[in-house]
Amino acid sequence: MSGRLSAVATVFRRELATVIRTPGYGVLAVGLFVALGGLLAAGGGGATGFVPAVVDLLLPTEALVPLVAVVLGYRALLTDAASGELAVIRTYPVRVGEYVAGVLLARTVALVAVVGVPYAVIGGVVWLTAAPDTGIFATHSGVDSPLLYLRFLAFVLLLGAAYVSLAAAVSALAASRRSAIALGVLALVGGVLGGDLVLLRSLAAGASPTTVPASIALAPNGAFRGLVFEHVIGVAFAPEGGFVATGLAVGSLVGWTLLGVAVAGATLAFGRRVDAAIERVRRGIGD
Amino acid sequence: MPDDLVASLSEVARTYGGVRVLDDVSIDFEPGVTAVVGPNGSGKSTLQRILVGATEPTAGEVRYPGATGPKPIGYLPQRVPFRDGFTARETLAFYARLVDDDPDAALERVGLVDAGGRRVEALSGGMRRLLGIAQAVLGDPSLVVLDEPASGLDPGMRERAFRAAARRADGDTAVVVSSHALDLVDAHADRVVILGQGRVAAAGPLDRLLEEHDAADASELYRAVMESTGARASDEGDAGDGGGGDGDATEGDGEREESDDAERDVHVTGVSDR
Repeated sequence: MSGRLSAVATVFRRELATVIRTPGYGVLAVGLFVALGGLLAAGGGGATGFVPAVVDLLLPTEALVPLVAVVLGYRALLTDAASGELAVIRTYPVRVGEYVAGVLLARTVALVAVVGVPYAVIGGVVWLTAAPDTGIFATHSGVDSPLLYLRFLAFVLLLGAAYVSLAAAVSALAASRRSAIALGVLALVGGVLGGDLVLLRSLAAGASPTTVPASIALAPNGAFRGLVFEHVIGVAFAPEGGFVATGLAVGSLVGWTLLGVAVAGATLAFGRRVDAAIERVRRGIGD
Repeated sequence: MPDDLVASLSEVARTYGGVRVLDDVSIDFEPGVTAVVGPNGSGKSTLQRILVGATEPTAGEVRYPGATGPKPIGYLPQRVPFRDGFTARETLAFYARLVDDDPDAALERVGLVDAGGRRVEALSGGMRRLLGIAQAVLGDPSLVVLDEPASGLDPGMRERAFRAAARRADGDTAVVVSSHALDLVDAHADRVVILGQGRVAAAGPLDRLLEEHDAADASELYRAVMESTGARASDEGDAGDGGGGDGDATEGDGEREESDDAERDVHVTGVSDR
C-alpha cells in the first residue's frame, strides 16, 4: 500500500474504532429505526408496498437523515483539534487531506451503518409484510418493486453523506463543542429549510416555474427530493418525469459533499496561517 | 551557524489578542538536551508549539536544517491529549503504523509494557506522560519537543520521565524540554534557555551560564537571571518542585490558544495537568 493510502487507512481505522466504541451511535440507529417504524405504522404505506412506504418516509427522511448525519459529523474533526492531539498527529507523515479523508470515510461508513441499516430493515419489513392492495396497485400500474426502495436507500445515503461532510466542515471551523453544536444546528436548519425558502422567495419575486427543476436541485434536500420523485415515486405514476434534472441533482449532492471536504481540509491546512495573519493585523492596529 | 544545528528560531514573535507572548526570540537547537525554563506565562509552551509547527509565529522564521527523516519532529504537549477508550498499546500502535515503528518496543523503552492493555483514561498522570514520551520518540525524530514532561509527577516518576527523554539526546537528536523542575535540569540538561516575559533572558550551555552568573546550580542561575531582568522568580519551583505547569498557551489547535495572561489566571502551581 502506498504511503498516502496507508496514512488514510490508519486514520480511518482509528476513527472507525472510535465510532464503534461510542454507544451513543448505536442508540441513534435504534432511535432512527423506531422513528421510521412509527411513521410507517402511522402512515399505513408500509402495509401496501415500497412506493407508498417511500411516500410516507420522504418528508421525515429530509429531516431525520440530516439530523443523524450532523450528529455523526459535528465533532469529527473538532475532537483531535480541541484535545491537542491534532498537533501531535501533524508531526507524523500525515497530510491534512489524508487525515480529513480518513476521518470522513470512517464517519461515512458509520452513516451507512447508523442510517442504512434501519432503512434496510424497514425495507425488509415492508417486503415481508406488505399485502397487495388492489386499489394501490391499480394506481401504481403494478411497478412497485424492491428495486425502487433500493434506489430510495441510495439517495438517502447520498443525502446523508452530504450532511456528514458539511457537519465535518462545521467541526473544523468550530472552536469548541458548544460552537460546533450551534454551527451544526445552523447548517441543519439552513440545509433542510434554506433551499425551499430561497426557491419560494424566487418564485414570489417572479421567477418562472420552469426554472424549478433546475433550482430545486441546488440545495441538498431539494436534490434528494427531486431524485426520489424522479426515480422512485414518479416511476409509478408519471413516466415522463421532469421533476428534476438527474445529473444536476446527483452532481449537487456530490458537490455539497466535496464542498464539505474542501472547507474542512482548507480550515485545518490554513487555519493557523489565517490566525497568525489576523494577529499581525490586530497588532498592527494596536501599534 | 553550528554545523550540527537541528532547528533554529530567528527573531520569532507571537501575539494573542494583540498581546505579545513571545518577542524577538532567536535560539539555535543542537543535539543534546535543551531545557526551557521561565515563570508561568513566560511563553515556554508557545515557544515549543512554534518550534514544532503547531502554532504559526506572527513574525520571524523557524528552520529545521538538521531535522530529517519521515518524522523529523516528535512532540508531547503539556496536556497529554490521547483519546479515551483506547488502550496504551492501541494508542501507540496508531502512531507507530504511521512511521512503521514497533509499539511494543516503544512501550518497553518507557517501562510501560505491563500497562499496555490498560485504557488511557485508566492510566495515572505519570503513566500518561510516559506514554506521551513513547509516542514523541516514535519514528526516531531528530528533534524531540516535550512540554513539561515531569509536571505534576511524584519524584520517582519525574526522574523516570526526564531520564526517558534525556536518553533520546544522542549525537544527532536534539531534545527540548520545558520544566519547572530545576533539579532535573541540573541533572540532565546540556543547555538552558531562560525565558522572561516572552523574551530570552539567558541562553547557552548550562556550565557556561553557571560560570557567567556565578551560580552553583540551575536554581541559583534561574534566580540570578530573573533578578537581573526584573522578572519574578517565585513561580519557578525550587529544586524538587516539579509541579507548576507553565501558564503558556493551551494545547488546542493554534487557532484556539488563549493568551498566556488568560491561562495564568486559572493556573495553580502544582496542578498543571488539566
